[in-house]
Amino acid sequence: MSKPRLAHVVLGGCEGCYVSLLDAGAALLPLLEAVDLVASPLVAEDDLTDCDVCLVEGAVTTERDIEKLLQARKASRTLVAVGSCAVLGGIGGLRNLSTRAEVLDTALGVGERPTGVPELTARVQPISDFVTVDMSVPGCAPETETLLEALTAALEGRDWALPRRNMCDECGRTKVKLLEHSSEFVSDSVYAIMELDEIDPELCFLEQGVICMGPMTREGCGARCTVAGVPCRGCQGPSRPEFEQGGKMVDALAAVLPAGAIMFMDDLVGTGYRFSMPISIFPTIYDHGGDDDE
Amino acid sequence: MPLGLYVSRCGGKVDDVIDVDAAIAGVAARAAVVRVFDDLFDPAAQERVRRDVVDAELDGVVLAGHSIERYTKSLSGRHLIEGIVAAGINPNRVVAANILEQVALVHADDPVGATAKAKAVIEDACRRVELSDEAEGIVCEPRRSVLILGVTTEAVVAAQRLLQLGFSVVLADRGEGLSHALQPSSLKATSAYVAGHPNAEFVDGARISDGSGWVGDFDIVLNSDAGSAHYRVGGILLARPDVTQWIEELRGHFKVDIDENGHARSIDPDTHPSETIDPGIMVVPVRGSGDRTREKVAAADSAAMALVLQLSQPTTVHYMDVSEVDETLCGGCASCVRTCAFGACSIGEDGFSHVDVRRCRACGKCVVSCPVGARDIISAPHDYLIETIRGLADSEVEGEKVLGFLCAGCGYPAADGASAYVEESGESYPASFLPLRIPCGGRLDTLYVLEAFKAGFDGVTVFRCREGHCHNLIGNLDMDRRMNLLRTVLRSRHLDDARLRIVDISPFEGERFVEQINAVYATLGSLTNGKGGPQ
Repeated sequence: MSKPRLAHVVLGGCEGCYVSLLDAGAALLPLLEAVDLVASPLVAEDDLTDCDVCLVEGAVTTERDIEKLLQARKASRTLVAVGSCAVLGGIGGLRNLSTRAEVLDTALGVGERPTGVPELTARVQPISDFVTVDMSVPGCAPETETLLEALTAALEGRDWALPRRNMCDECGRTKVKLLEHSSEFVSDSVYAIMELDEIDPELCFLEQGVICMGPMTREGCGARCTVAGVPCRGCQGPSRPEFEQGGKMVDALAAVLPAGAIMFMDDLVGTGYRFSMPISIFPTIYDHGGDDDE
Repeated sequence: MPLGLYVSRCGGKVDDVIDVDAAIAGVAARAAVVRVFDDLFDPAAQERVRRDVVDAELDGVVLAGHSIERYTKSLSGRHLIEGIVAAGINPNRVVAANILEQVALVHADDPVGATAKAKAVIEDACRRVELSDEAEGIVCEPRRSVLILGVTTEAVVAAQRLLQLGFSVVLADRGEGLSHALQPSSLKATSAYVAGHPNAEFVDGARISDGSGWVGDFDIVLNSDAGSAHYRVGGILLARPDVTQWIEELRGHFKVDIDENGHARSIDPDTHPSETIDPGIMVVPVRGSGDRTREKVAAADSAAMALVLQLSQPTTVHYMDVSEVDETLCGGCASCVRTCAFGACSIGEDGFSHVDVRRCRACGKCVVSCPVGARDIISAPHDYLIETIRGLADSEVEGEKVLGFLCAGCGYPAADGASAYVEESGESYPASFLPLRIPCGGRLDTLYVLEAFKAGFDGVTVFRCREGHCHNLIGNLDMDRRMNLLRTVLRSRHLDDARLRIVDISPFEGERFVEQINAVYATLGSLTNGKGGPQ
């Protein structure tokens, strides 16, 4: 019996998901024994014509990404979206708040345009905007173990999905005020984490006045950030794509933290939509249409 | 789903303006039964509907014609709905499509627009039926006991009637009620009867410290000089609707409408002077000091009769309007706990959110605050609202479209009341203003506003209760906070946030309703629409 053919394709992203996979270290060896690696950042020549499982990381940000993605879909039996860029559009999706011309002017200088590189699409999009995705592993980057689990399941032809509850389910921090019936906010103001004199290692960040994206974010990473002492940034995206994180942040926290203080936060939109702007109901500036260069 | 569509011509007022055939064309194709009546309040028409429900095995009924207010705020309207429910339709699947008060009567000068709008409103009602779950009823045998708040002449007279019919009464007064009760000499016999009755209890210096439940089965905790005591009663009679402390204490737990003075008000001072929006709470209308005893007695009789009608039924049913939490989604973040003004939400030992249905007023704030959509309001479910926003945006009404989220407590009745103002003044508003009723301003999710703009609305206007008047205490203010934060999100998308307007209104301000919509239309043209900057 021939080995299953595995491909790993990178679109617009930082290859951090790939690094997370490499972090498996010795655990990769049996996996590599068991598959034929036909395309990967570590393979000199990609053969993306026929594979059983194709991991796609990165968002669609250029015309070249679209071609590569369509080819990957055509070639593969099971297509796995890996990482928040592929699943949600990712952090690069924040560029959707500017026109393409503004982005290029800022990056390259006014009027300067690159030559010989793929053309930037009008906006960043998750791969599910273009192709059917069989399995999604969000996270920036996804946990190594999670990636291996998903990959193994895909190779064996099993279904695999992350749990759907929000991060609070697996965050061990305690809630006190949040559990009380009260019309008061749980904090007198909203603070950036570095503004706190002392960070309580046990208490819910919201109760310390720090915006935590945990409630708006799908669990599955083991609440890595809140365990490490920083609030959740929301990299796993929402449990259900139709309940977008930025909008729901407003809905959920308006009665929890002083709304006036939230309004004067440095970057309300960037906080709410850090990883998931491209899956917002409004994923870009209004009626962008890609015609901004004219 | 087998759906029955019943159109009332409302004695010609509807089809004077609306081309009914055109308005129902879309829905008629998928409805199992379609009938047009001269008047739905005609007993023969109602009998026809009930027979259809059985014969055609209908699962949902849309009544196109009058406003929902006409059915919920009159005994004959309630009777009509009850008849349909008794025939086998779940009450959450009997929906009114308001094509009279909010379409025909206000757009008489624009029959084409009115017809297109009526079509959109009927389709909205059908979607509401089709995308709603059945509401689950909690049946109870009503307690034959009544709590009377404020010991007045009327209170004593009503108590006497109730006692004589075998009810027990608790007469609570903020001061020394019993001494007042024995005052009017003309009613000495009545007072003595009540004061000496074994089933009457007087509580002086009383304050309401807690309350829950519904008609037939209320739990009330009264604090007084004598301490704290728990009462289980079937109904509440508010004999002093002008004592604002009583009203505030009641409003902390139950739905009570108030007027501009903060006094409790009935659903209609002329036709239903005693009934309030809560079927278990009655009021004795406030009388002037010059009123004669016989007027007070008449008012007391009317209130006692209203209570007896409710509590003499073999059973009463309370329909739950909030769903169970979806435990595959709830992570116990407690946003719902903090947003609920009634203390109905809590996180249980199991880590999931739970609702105490006896305290829940179904305002929908917890549903909005839930970041994962783990809970829903049964009469205004998420999927329906999203679908209907898209549907209304796609309607054939000409011109710039504005979506109006109308709070059921204020904006919606004001929109109905606008019909009288339009008739009187001749001034109306564009038919491309499309109404969408929500149970409370607090039910408005940021996602609905985003969806409305995405679907193509040029503006979104929210009509919410004036400060201090929200049935749900702070549904209006929580909505303001959410929408004002959302403005930053809208601006980030290059969408002028002035396209989202919040209007405070009382249910009687039909004129303000018209004025405010016209003010919205007057500004639309000058706002950034993202299609190339300001026009």
